[in-house]
Amino acid sequence: MFYSPVTTNAAEATASDQLHLFKYVEDPDQHKIETYEAHGGYAAWKKVLNGMPPVAVIEEVKQSGLRGRGGAGFPAGLKWGFIPKDSPKPRYLCCNADESEPGTCKDRVIMERDPHAVIEGMAIAAYAIGCHLMFIYIRGEFCHCAERIDAAMKEAYAKGYLGKNINNSSYDLDMIVHTGGGAYICGEETGLLNSLEGERGMSRIRPPFPAVEGLYSCPTIVNNVETLASVPHIINRGADWYRSLGTEKSTGTKIFSLTGHVKRPGNYEVELGFPLRKLIYDPVYGGGILGDKKLKGVIPGGASTPFLTPEMIDVGLDYESLTDIGSMLGSGAVIVFHEDTCIVWVILKLIHFFRHESCGKCTPCREGTAWLEQIIRRIEHGQGKSGDIETIENICSNILGRTICPLGDAAVMPIQSAIKHWREEWQYHIDQKKCLVKSVFEFQ
Amino acid sequence: MILTEESIKQIQEKTSQYPRCKSAILPALTIAYRQMGYLNSEVYKEISRVIKVPYVEIAEAATFYTLFPKQPVGKYLIQVCHNISCALLGADSLIEYLEQKLSIKRGETTPDNLFTLVTVECLGSCATAPMMQINQDYYENLTREKVDQIIEELRSKA
Amino acid sequence: MTQKVKTDTSIKSEVETVTLTIDDRQVTVPKGTTVLEAATRLGIHIPTFCWHPKLKPVGACRMCYVEIEKMPKLQVSCATQAMDGMVVYTNSDQVKQGRRAVIEFLLLNHPLDCPTCDKGGECELQNLTFAHGVDDSRFDFQKYRFTDESVITTFDDIRIGPEIILNRNRCILCYKCVRANKEAFGEYDLGAYERGNKTEINVAPGGQVDNPFSGNLVEICPVGALTNTDWRYKIRVWLTKMVPSVCNLTSSGTNILFYKEDHKNHIFRVTSRCNDDIDDGWLTDITRYSYQIANSAERLQTPLIKKEGKQVPATWDEALEVIFKRFNEIREKKGSVCIGGLAAPHLDNASLYSFSKFFRTVFRSNNIDFRCDYRMLPNKPDSVFSILCSRPFKISNIDNSDVIVTFGSDLVREHPNEYLHLRKAFNFNSPRIFSINPYSVKSADVADLELVYNVGTDEAVINGICLAAVEQNLVEPSAALRWKEKVSLSSLAETEAYCGVSETDLKAVAKALADGSQITFIIGELITRSKAREAIAAAIANLNLLFRLDSKGQLAALARYANSKGAERLGLMPCPSSAVERELALLWGEFPDCQPHTTDAMLALMKKEELNGLFILGANPVMLYPDREFVREGLEKLEFLVVCDLFETETTALADVVLPLSSWAEFSGDYVSLEGRVQRAERAIKPIGQSRPGFEIIDVIAQKFGKRLFSSANDIASEIERLLRLPSTVEMPREFLEVKPLREEVDEKFPIPLFIGDDPHHSGHITEKATSLANFASEAYLEMSSDLAATYGLKEGDSVRVESEVGKIIIPAKISENLDGNVVFIPRNFSATPVTSLLMRKRRIDRVKITKVVE
Repeated sequence: MFYSPVTTNAAEATASDQLHLFKYVEDPDQHKIETYEAHGGYAAWKKVLNGMPPVAVIEEVKQSGLRGRGGAGFPAGLKWGFIPKDSPKPRYLCCNADESEPGTCKDRVIMERDPHAVIEGMAIAAYAIGCHLMFIYIRGEFCHCAERIDAAMKEAYAKGYLGKNINNSSYDLDMIVHTGGGAYICGEETGLLNSLEGERGMSRIRPPFPAVEGLYSCPTIVNNVETLASVPHIINRGADWYRSLGTEKSTGTKIFSLTGHVKRPGNYEVELGFPLRKLIYDPVYGGGILGDKKLKGVIPGGASTPFLTPEMIDVGLDYESLTDIGSMLGSGAVIVFHEDTCIVWVILKLIHFFRHESCGKCTPCREGTAWLEQIIRRIEHGQGKSGDIETIENICSNILGRTICPLGDAAVMPIQSAIKHWREEWQYHIDQKKCLVKSVFEFQ
Repeated sequence: MILTEESIKQIQEKTSQYPRCKSAILPALTIAYRQMGYLNSEVYKEISRVIKVPYVEIAEAATFYTLFPKQPVGKYLIQVCHNISCALLGADSLIEYLEQKLSIKRGETTPDNLFTLVTVECLGSCATAPMMQINQDYYENLTREKVDQIIEELRSKA
Repeated sequence: MTQKVKTDTSIKSEVETVTLTIDDRQVTVPKGTTVLEAATRLGIHIPTFCWHPKLKPVGACRMCYVEIEKMPKLQVSCATQAMDGMVVYTNSDQVKQGRRAVIEFLLLNHPLDCPTCDKGGECELQNLTFAHGVDDSRFDFQKYRFTDESVITTFDDIRIGPEIILNRNRCILCYKCVRANKEAFGEYDLGAYERGNKTEINVAPGGQVDNPFSGNLVEICPVGALTNTDWRYKIRVWLTKMVPSVCNLTSSGTNILFYKEDHKNHIFRVTSRCNDDIDDGWLTDITRYSYQIANSAERLQTPLIKKEGKQVPATWDEALEVIFKRFNEIREKKGSVCIGGLAAPHLDNASLYSFSKFFRTVFRSNNIDFRCDYRMLPNKPDSVFSILCSRPFKISNIDNSDVIVTFGSDLVREHPNEYLHLRKAFNFNSPRIFSINPYSVKSADVADLELVYNVGTDEAVINGICLAAVEQNLVEPSAALRWKEKVSLSSLAETEAYCGVSETDLKAVAKALADGSQITFIIGELITRSKAREAIAAAIANLNLLFRLDSKGQLAALARYANSKGAERLGLMPCPSSAVERELALLWGEFPDCQPHTTDAMLALMKKEELNGLFILGANPVMLYPDREFVREGLEKLEFLVVCDLFETETTALADVVLPLSSWAEFSGDYVSLEGRVQRAERAIKPIGQSRPGFEIIDVIAQKFGKRLFSSANDIASEIERLLRLPSTVEMPREFLEVKPLREEVDEKFPIPLFIGDDPHHSGHITEKATSLANFASEAYLEMSSDLAATYGLKEGDSVRVESEVGKIIIPAKISENLDGNVVFIPRNFSATPVTSLLMRKRRIDRVKITKVVE
């Protein structure tokens, strides 16, 4: 049974040779190990154990060009290579399943419906870095995901894919399922590690980087669920195949969570470089704007990424193209809103979120996001003062690049881009003390 | 003893898996929360005794996270996401609807102690907005009918 | 900065330094130094809030921004490692703007409390706002305020400990207090709760900040969020003057600053005077609040003379007259060998030396001793134990040791400063730490292994470690053979059965000692005050020889008073070392050859009325010497007793003449710390009332006897210098010694071993007079494990009758966090509870029986 009735393009994925993450995601039995194995599961794990030394695994993933799918987009193979070869300390792998970026709901689908893919990916990654104890950090609200992963883990132990002397290769691997407590900041690498250690989930300064000093000060790799779920496919079909998908620098496929004012919100696996316009308007995917209204703006990669205006949506969805036009691919959460949306209202929602989730360690983020929320709330409620926009811009520039972790940047980049694209609307709000366009979204 | 034997056993089992016992704070809080429905300093004291970590560390971690209510809540904790994707599809009016329906304001509990209504940040279910989480279950793609249905069901089960 | 240069010049030399440019000036620093520290070497002061030299950097406040070429974003210099060729600007426009922004953010919700905030004048936020901040505020919302039921004043202050008050509105969340508390002190009474800008730092509900280092938290708070009760609202810091001094109540020689005000002749507080070799800038609360002893209203202001059974105030002239008359009587009637002297080991060099010179050249008596409390029971000169006490010890070497062993030491109570060094080693390096004690102690929290041995089996444990080494072939075979000849032990299994320490643990310790290359071995008070300490010392000497510890580290019994090392080296013993005796003979032209008597011997003679006169300078043997009855009897039988002290005590109550003594804050003096470091404590205030420093008192008394002890002030200094220059370290024995384990006779009527020591907030007999320290603890208690309490049906606070063979007392019970098993602990610092009346001098272990007092 499916816990979530979310729309996916599984049908397309099943028929396709390129799409692979969603191939079996509409199969109600995919989470059982027998079904998973019948669909070719754990072949990659066995292949790796039987004859691929760890350096070869790292090389393969490096060659494939797989980049972190959680938001940072850092090349996974390169990250794995940062583990110091001669450190006597134990190595750890953490799968980051703390999906909290607003607009993102993709990891949940993989974990609930295809948990073994995650486990297999984690196992291969653990093997590649020499880790014998791996963790998956699942956000506390995803109770059913945790259950599914836990059950899958037990099945994997029972079948001997985890535990001691796996597949007679003399490799031991244990896994722990760790559920979170409700904090977006624990999706950030060092916040996750601190939370896993039992501390408050606040970020750490880098350097030292987690690959050198991470969990319990030991070398640690943190990767997103989707990144790890892609690994078995790379091992099975080779780096060259993976590189044939997507674009030159952004290889492979990605799951985009399309949400907001579209007719068919859902999770869609597409090759990187896929045109944003097609994702929003094509009847197979987004199906166009709700109520056939005009598009006002798009957030392409989750709440931390700068906005795109309707003129900009012909961009391809890959890391480079989006960076070139001033935004980011991020987690791939495409949030669409139509012309009857007040931009200040949107920003208020976002800054409220970031202020709520700020861990409170470094001064600019802690004080700055709260101050920004106060000013923006005042504007939204029709009490904006003249000069507020300039103040907001100034505060944003005092936070950008000045914080320990990217949450500060994430909080201000949308604001900066919103003011850049819709400055008149902001000014109208302040001068006329009311919305240019009132956002009244009735729930049916 | 506030924690049941079963809870303590679960906590001890989970603690033994980790290389350091301090890592067991979050799992211990989760297990205690599932048993009690909320957490307070008495519970932290007991967890501190069970996993042998100083009280202050437990309380620090527990108050950092938002999942654990600090006061007793109703039998059903209704958590409605009001973040951007859900709000674009009417989450704010969903909250108002629930407030009206249950005759309480957000943050409050119904007099029969059945429902507590709170607003929360993104629950990772954005493509099926608007939605809410009640205890451990997600209720997605909500409409007025569905909400009425759900509330009725829960009322009758109690 | 070591530069390893290979002799073959064609190979590049291995450089362990980096050179970088800061503000157009070059500096070379060891690899691993941060940019902030590198800048400090150039005298460039980068502003910070959350950085502390002794804590791990967190990069939270973002105030220490610098601009580094090739890095687009501003970098925090406290966390950025200096790299070769880096070009850093600490004052560029971007940096200035960055700092302004941070100050603005911090001031957003910071209350405008400056006029009433204690921190005014020494507040980092004030200073840095003036230096780097904005002129005006753009924040036009209501400032966030932490108010809840625990608020007690209009300023939202809440008391979080006996001495600390917290104001959460002022907190700028630099997290230094929480970090210092956890990292440096290992305490968990403060925590940061909630998240984001609602984060508040507070105690646990019902909790308090009452650890022995709590005062440091106030000192490191950069704003007025944490304030001390003893300083609150009393005076503004700019109205006080700072005087450098040294702590007089601990033996580490912690450097302090007195803040004094001349008009009132009053000391207002003490802060640290960071000495990186000794204290790292951390003070124990005892050190911090001890100045209140000087200011106490109970100070003796005038001499007292006993007339018709009552002590009445008198003038110095009268008192001196009486002293001369009565001592002279005794001298003429029975000889001056019937006069004795006891000096306290916290007195300064000049006082102690004058005391010795006076007794030996005027009375020609060797009846002087400085060891007048239970911790320092007199011992034979040149004994193995004395050798252990003389061994060199460097506090900062603890930090770099790879193996640290504390034996018979409750380190937190006995040597809190060294305990902090132990924690520092634990935090920054990975030493193997072993705690070997007859009961579980707090310092074992950081230990790899805690060995708790059966009470009374100390030397057997040491022998067991040696045996483990021999059996595992960890030491040189010939040494092993020679050891076995002297110490016949059957097996480790037998040792395990006798001592209660497992074979595995003994082997682990042996292995660590054999493998270690920089070892610190601390011998604690539980050994130094034990009756069996010669036997234990012999065992330790064997351990030292077997593992060759003295060539790869430090092994010592640490001194326990502010100047006990000075007392030893200045010859304050009845029988000083031969080197000291020779030197004194040279200096004075004579040295008495009469029979020397230790404190214990003197007390016995007093009882037999063969010692008739006693002069006590600063000591309180009635309160502190074991077997109170024995002491009282002796003192009461005296014909004439003179006591000089700061307060009226149990000992002054028995005196014929009482003279007011000045505290160490009232004159300049030198003190020798446990490391052998001579440090000067400057005078802060004028002597209180008519009190005088020890050396002055001796001087005027000597003059009465017609002797000028010194022709000038320089004389004292130069004579002392000659003595201090004598080598004081004695070599450890080069042959193995026989170790005769002293078996204890246990009286079944008194089953429970009793340990006496200091409360963590007290030291000796006068800290009670410091009001702040009394706020932490003001009465004695019987500390025991929860299991033992349960056996006797005791709850916290219940009255307990504690009886030994010689005495009994009634005190409340206290459930301990650390103690385990079958031992109890009573602090000795409270005059209301005569704990020493339970102690006997002849037993190895004092044992008691306890019964619940039923109303």
